[in-house]
Amino acid sequence: MVPFYFGPPHKPLFGCYHEPRSGPQRQCGVILCPPLAYEYINSHRAYRQLAVRLSHVGFPVLLFDFYGSGDSGGDDELEGIPPHLSDISTAIDEIRRRSGVAKVCLVGLRLGGTLSMMAGAERGDVEGLVLWDPVVDGRVYIREMTTVHQDLLGHSFSRPKHGTTNGTALEILGFALAHSLLADLETIDLLAIRRKPAKSTLVLESDGGGGARGLSEHLKSMETRLEYQLLPGPRIWLPDREGGLLVPAPTLQSIVSWIARVQP
Amino acid sequence: MREEAILFGQTRSLVGILTDPPESVKNTNLPGMILLNAGIVHRVGPQRLYVKIARSLAELGFVVLRFDFSGIGDSRVRPDNLPFERSAVSEAQDAMNHLGSARGMDRFVLLGLCSGADTSLKTAWYDPRVVGAVLINPQGDQQDAANELNAFAVDRKISRYYWQTALRNPKSWLRAVRGEANYAAIVRALVFQLRYRYARPKRASSGMNRDPANFRSLVERGVRLLLVFSKGDAGLDYFREVYGEELQHLCSGGRMDLHVIPRSTHTFTFLRDQARLLGLVRDWAQSVTARGLEVVREAT
Repeated sequence: MVPFYFGPPHKPLFGCYHEPRSGPQRQCGVILCPPLAYEYINSHRAYRQLAVRLSHVGFPVLLFDFYGSGDSGGDDELEGIPPHLSDISTAIDEIRRRSGVAKVCLVGLRLGGTLSMMAGAERGDVEGLVLWDPVVDGRVYIREMTTVHQDLLGHSFSRPKHGTTNGTALEILGFALAHSLLADLETIDLLAIRRKPAKSTLVLESDGGGGARGLSEHLKSMETRLEYQLLPGPRIWLPDREGGLLVPAPTLQSIVSWIARVQP
Repeated sequence: MREEAILFGQTRSLVGILTDPPESVKNTNLPGMILLNAGIVHRVGPQRLYVKIARSLAELGFVVLRFDFSGIGDSRVRPDNLPFERSAVSEAQDAMNHLGSARGMDRFVLLGLCSGADTSLKTAWYDPRVVGAVLINPQGDQQDAANELNAFAVDRKISRYYWQTALRNPKSWLRAVRGEANYAAIVRALVFQLRYRYARPKRASSGMNRDPANFRSLVERGVRLLLVFSKGDAGLDYFREVYGEELQHLCSGGRMDLHVIPRSTHTFTFLRDQARLLGLVRDWAQSVTARGLEVVREAT
């Protein structure tokens, strides 16, 4: 595994490149697109495990951080959606350059899945797409994040007197979401996307209430080869009260098996 | 400021980010800063706090390394069976070795939150290259402390939960009305709090705990310390119980600074508290730069 920075010098992105370790040499690279804010922190452990598992069955894998997130450059105040789509394109260019493969699969949890689908539909050259509990409706997503914040901290002695907003951003569990990002998030509606995001798509849902089934119904109307899996398990992106970081082995195995199947 | 991703350690399996200061503020006399994982959160830290701290210190001229211990974040699991308490110290030393060879440094300040603070302290005891440590909500050697002290810490934590959180939460009241609450725990918390406030409870024993002696030896060695606690953190209770009035004595000697941030969570979740913490760390680093380092250099 090689950690490195890539992309334009004024906008460095951090990535970990996992070389294919064994098995058949796959002709497809996999890019892992993480969620944002606290969901990014909570899911990093599982993402790293997923990268290792995929590399062990022969895929070159790039796990990267969006600009303004994780180890990438940029301040904390997360900005709008278009720069994130541009980051995915930069990551695609990078894995092609490093691995020499032309085909690319995208895997994304929560908003990482949403951005992957948007990027795939915009670009039209993505082979496989894994949408793991994707955010289907941006307004619901904002509501959910606010609820999580209130549930965890709303009654705490630590609560700031003035609530969760400051002048330019919404504060959610220690992260500032810029109003420009919130405005973009509110417009997210994956059911409004009409172009197929990839040749093959896997929709994974940890519980039945996240809207992913509705999304898979919508995807059926496109020319993508679709598979929907309901895999009951913990919602690993949420803060764990014991401070743990959960790794859902069955879900990771399911993702690896599916990608290996569609990209033999 | 420049950030570089690195692999280091005996098997080059530790993943880190090295942050170099801008050329305009570069100062080769400053010690290297090394940030140690907070629990199992990877090197960006809770709420990306470590990224903010690293960049902020680099702006002051410090070279900063934040990295993942084996098995955390992107660093590989160790092939040996070394327990974490020992491997963490050894890998913190690997980080010092790396900065030594890559940047020619021989003095270091360690910074960590929670278990990262505890590891900073342990490493400082073992390695004379450590000239300072920023300990944020250290939890101390609670596992090895006497049972009486552990019981005290647990009771205090539970009591604080009921008084400061549950009392304000309508859902807790609803559970109490429905008969779903743990009434025994509530009564125990109330009694504990009343005794703690009004009955001047005797100090919990620190048993065979080695923390105070080790701590004193660090201060005597000339190691500069900054302790930052969230008010109400279990670690603060522990330190107050184990050290008693000695905490103030150590602070008055000028080698140690202690700050308590009110109304903060354990990991400084709110942006307001992150800004306060960042300000304290920056101020301390600047004051150390201004008045402490030359003395430390002579002492070592």
